Amino acid sequence: MHMIIAMSPSPSPLTTHVLNTALGVPGSNMTLRLYQQQPLTTVWHRITTGTTNGDERCPGLITQEQFKPGVYKLHFETGQYWASMGQTSFYPYVEIVFTISDLGQRYHVPLLVSRFSYSTYRGS
Amino acid sequence: MAVAESSPLTTHVMNTSDGVPGAKMALSLHRLDTRLMIWSMISVGTTNEDGYCPGLISREAFIPGMYKLRFETGSYWEGLGKTSFYPYVEIVFTIHYPAERFHLPLLMSSFSYSTCRGN
Repeated sequence: MHMIIAMSPSPSPLTTHVLNTALGVPGSNMTLRLYQQQPLTTVWHRITTGTTNGDERCPGLITQEQFKPGVYKLHFETGQYWASMGQTSFYPYVEIVFTISDLGQRYHVPLLVSRFSYSTYRGS
Repeated sequence: MAVAESSPLTTHVMNTSDGVPGAKMALSLHRLDTRLMIWSMISVGTTNEDGYCPGLISREAFIPGMYKLRFETGSYWEGLGKTSFYPYVEIVFTIHYPAERFHLPLLMSSFSYSTCRGN
């Protein structure tokens, strides 16, 4: 039996997901941006703008080719997210700055958020 | 005897990897200047042996606005001979009612952190 394997682009080596811990639901429709820091100038260069989908994920953050060692920043528009549900938030946005050194690994940088708290961890 | 009024904004750093206070961590407090859209530094400090950093801001200087607490987590873990996923942690928050008290703890390991609004 032939198996036809569709050629699909490699998944992003960096992924995220957002959980709304106040309601225990995915943090869907949250805008986020990924930035890469230029090593010499320390200026932030925007790589992607995206929105979390119904499963709270945002695929396609970066390609393997773009993914170099260095400092990155994920910016989550948390204030906008809560405002779209008619609520205020203590945090107008959340930025998570992290260092990538080993390109052979996969990196998962989630955000668990309520209006008055948030947490993150390095997953894979 | 005059007693200095304590800061209406406080923080506390906990090293959750080792189960100890995050002592001797450098941190700074900034307020967003909305005219120029740049961050102005209000104070710089280092956490004490208990992970606290008193005197972040005076009651008079604590006006409504957007603030940022920046923790030098990378340097902290380097000082313990470890690497950290996060070179620093910045927590940006909005103050509408400065008459309240705000306690912003940071619970962190070299691969995770969390914070909340307390008082």
